[in-house]
Amino acid sequence: MSEGSDEVVRVGEYIVLQRQSYTKLHKVSDHGTVMLGKDQIDIKSIIGKPLWTTYKMEPKKGSKRDFILAECDSAESLAEQLIKAVSSGVDNRNIFDDGNSQQLSTEEIISMRQEGMSGQDIVGQLVENSKTFRDKTEYSQEKYLKKKEKKYFEYVTIRKPTIRLIAQILYRQDSTKIMGLRMDTLSQISTAAGVQSQGTYLLYESGCQGLVAAALVNSLDEGGCLVHTHAGNIPQKQAILAMNFSEAQKSRLISVNIHSLLRKLHQLKDSIVNTVSDKDNQSSTCNGDHVMSQNSSESEQVVEVEMKLEKSVNISTESKNNNEEKVVNINENEDVQNDTNDRKRKHSDVEDSGPKKPRWELETERAALILKSQLADGLIVVAKEHPRNIFLALLEWVNPSRPFTVFCLCREPLMDLYVYLKSRNDVIALRLTESWLRTHQILPNRTHPDILMSGSGGYLLSGIVVRDTAVETVD
Amino acid sequence: MSFANYKSVIEQGDTVILYLSVNNMHAIKVEQRIKNKKNEMVENVFQTPYGALKVKSLIGQTFGSKVALSKGWAYVLHPTPELWTLTLPHRTQIIYTPDISIILFQLELKPGSVVLESGTGSGSLSHALIRCIKPHGHLYTFDFHAQRVEVARAEFEDHLVSEYVTVQQRDVCQTGFGPDVKGVADAVFLDLPHPWEAVPHAVEAMKEKGGRFVSFSPCIEQVQRTCEALAQQGFIELQTMECLQKELTVQTRAMSVLPLPDFSQPQHQQQPRGGGGGGVAGGERAAEGGEGGAREQCRFLTGVPPPSLPGHTGYLTAASLPPRWARTLRSPPQPLSA
Ligand SMILES: C[S@@+](CC[C@H](N)C(=O)[O-])C[C@H]1O[C@@H](n2cnc3c(N)ncnc32)[C@H](O)[C@@H]1O
Repeated sequence: MSEGSDEVVRVGEYIVLQRQSYTKLHKVSDHGTVMLGKDQIDIKSIIGKPLWTTYKMEPKKGSKRDFILAECDSAESLAEQLIKAVSSGVDNRNIFDDGNSQQLSTEEIISMRQEGMSGQDIVGQLVENSKTFRDKTEYSQEKYLKKKEKKYFEYVTIRKPTIRLIAQILYRQDSTKIMGLRMDTLSQISTAAGVQSQGTYLLYESGCQGLVAAALVNSLDEGGCLVHTHAGNIPQKQAILAMNFSEAQKSRLISVNIHSLLRKLHQLKDSIVNTVSDKDNQSSTCNGDHVMSQNSSESEQVVEVEMKLEKSVNISTESKNNNEEKVVNINENEDVQNDTNDRKRKHSDVEDSGPKKPRWELETERAALILKSQLADGLIVVAKEHPRNIFLALLEWVNPSRPFTVFCLCREPLMDLYVYLKSRNDVIALRLTESWLRTHQILPNRTHPDILMSGSGGYLLSGIVVRDTAVETVD
Repeated sequence: MSFANYKSVIEQGDTVILYLSVNNMHAIKVEQRIKNKKNEMVENVFQTPYGALKVKSLIGQTFGSKVALSKGWAYVLHPTPELWTLTLPHRTQIIYTPDISIILFQLELKPGSVVLESGTGSGSLSHALIRCIKPHGHLYTFDFHAQRVEVARAEFEDHLVSEYVTVQQRDVCQTGFGPDVKGVADAVFLDLPHPWEAVPHAVEAMKEKGGRFVSFSPCIEQVQRTCEALAQQGFIELQTMECLQKELTVQTRAMSVLPLPDFSQPQHQQQPRGGGGGGVAGGERAAEGGEGGAREQCRFLTGVPPPSLPGHTGYLTAASLPPRWARTLRSPPQPLSA
């Protein structure tokens, strides 16, 4: 992946646009405009420019809502601007300007800004601390505020999407669309599953826009693999797309339908043909296409019948899934929808192309062979459905002495699962946890917890898979 | 055994986790013989509340299987950074997994990242950092305490992760992180009594293109000073947070139901409402519970929060350092946390 100063804005990649406290994911196209709130911004000028560049929003001539972005190389300090602005009252008849009408020091304002306080809040603070504000007429007060607000809302910074920023954006846009999966809980999923860069992980994800899958792929390196199962034809993948993963990273992600995968896995389990291939598979990794070619001949017979079956199932569910996807996408970024549609077209292209196996089927085989030969090093279930049967169906494909974790927005399904798992002998170290997160405002003499905090970040049921065997007797 | 990669069969020299219960785990090094108090080599026997374990008997067992103790059994597990955090020998205060999770996330670590840590302390966090950045990344960890440095180094060797980590004895507040790591770090983490003194050194150690910073401090005064230093050094997007993980005990509980007559019904139809009451007609008598035998029980499954739990571990302060060329530029205010 690109590093350092060659990190520039490229057409087709995602960026994070940041304007004040507002951040947005956007896929860059060559005829680029983007809506920020009600403002339409022409972003042609940012293509090829380094990430982290800050631009000034300049209104297009004759329009109040259309802006172009002009690179600012020598922007005035925000604090200086504020001070200047605040001390220039409109009606100063009653104002005795001793140079101290603004009681906030430059340093304090800078630190407010560094703290991440929004421009609006800074203006609020300035007003509160301005001796002269109260002396202004109502009209000029209003004008003053509008001016201030506008002033501090006119810069846009372009950032590179990271899991942290994406999680933040998705959570703030609409946390219900990621099942309230808060940053701390998301981070605990990775540690609870013990994710390390060369392991094989088994994930079921729904209702999270691909956020968990994206976070896991981001943690993998050569030799690592994520089998990402989902219920429909196409996984949700807003977050995955937004990460601009390299080809190498993408090759570590296998997204498959959970039904197809389970069916294939059970065929493999039952088939005698494949016991022979066990040894070969031992060396197979996720990255090598050789896994597919090497093994596909063996499993071909089994697969053939299944393929037809699968096809009809898939076609019959297609329309329903299409609708589902669309509903989701409409509320997201338009670009995602384009992208999914692209994928869909490709998807059906392949399906139509005669004897060649469709891509989804090759992927399902690949995933099944990997799991069959080496079992997963961790199991993660983040489901909008009841997690019990999903978890149990996937559990047998996990190695002993490996961790698992199940996320749920409500605790009851996890309590049920907990009680059931207690009766089994193949999982231990069960823990049902809830995370509590509080953020703080840190300012000179004004440090306190933030006024608003999130009520719940969801629940995790975690544990470790063990061998269900009799005790070895002591010698 | 290596903390970096899983294997399946236990061999001599491995560190294993002996699991007795969720709150009773032990890290054991698989050695057939150890020195006793009198400095004599004796057979290595590990004592548990469920009897003794001959450590030698673990050799050849597979991770995740049940092993016999003289009065019961236990599981042997493959070590992970999380299990190590729960079982490691404490030489200092350590950071636990809920905070570690946020630290890894906020540092935006991934395979290949170069990360700096000070102080090393007991190496609780270090093991988790190593797992994130291996195989091509590197952890540089610093502590000014000679013995802690030594022990940590030995542990990393023991756990077969030393190729991913460099441990150095150094006072990072006084002398910085050293010439070896100028401009190399993607991320810097501090768990020090005076983190603000190390902030300028952190900037020196970070790459041209900037990176992420996290500091862990128990006291708000430390946070205050650290934030001042961060702002001064050009960091943006400062966020301070605290996180607690509450464990719920899943239990089926029963509550008896107080039988109450339904007074809205005509006198002759009065039945104890919601009460089995064993055919007791009058609500009052049932309420006294005197006769009629067992009351109706209402059973339900619940998650009981612990009666007491740690209410504070430390504040985590995270920040971004923009690329050098963008640092003088005052970028607009950044959003508060998600
Ligand atoms: C609380 S411990 C760190 C624990 C560690 N994070 C863990 O999870 O195991 C703090 C460590 O910082 C070290 N330390 C304190 N001041 C230091 C300094 N100026 N330079 C380097 N190390 C320092 C101490 O020796 C101590 O080991």
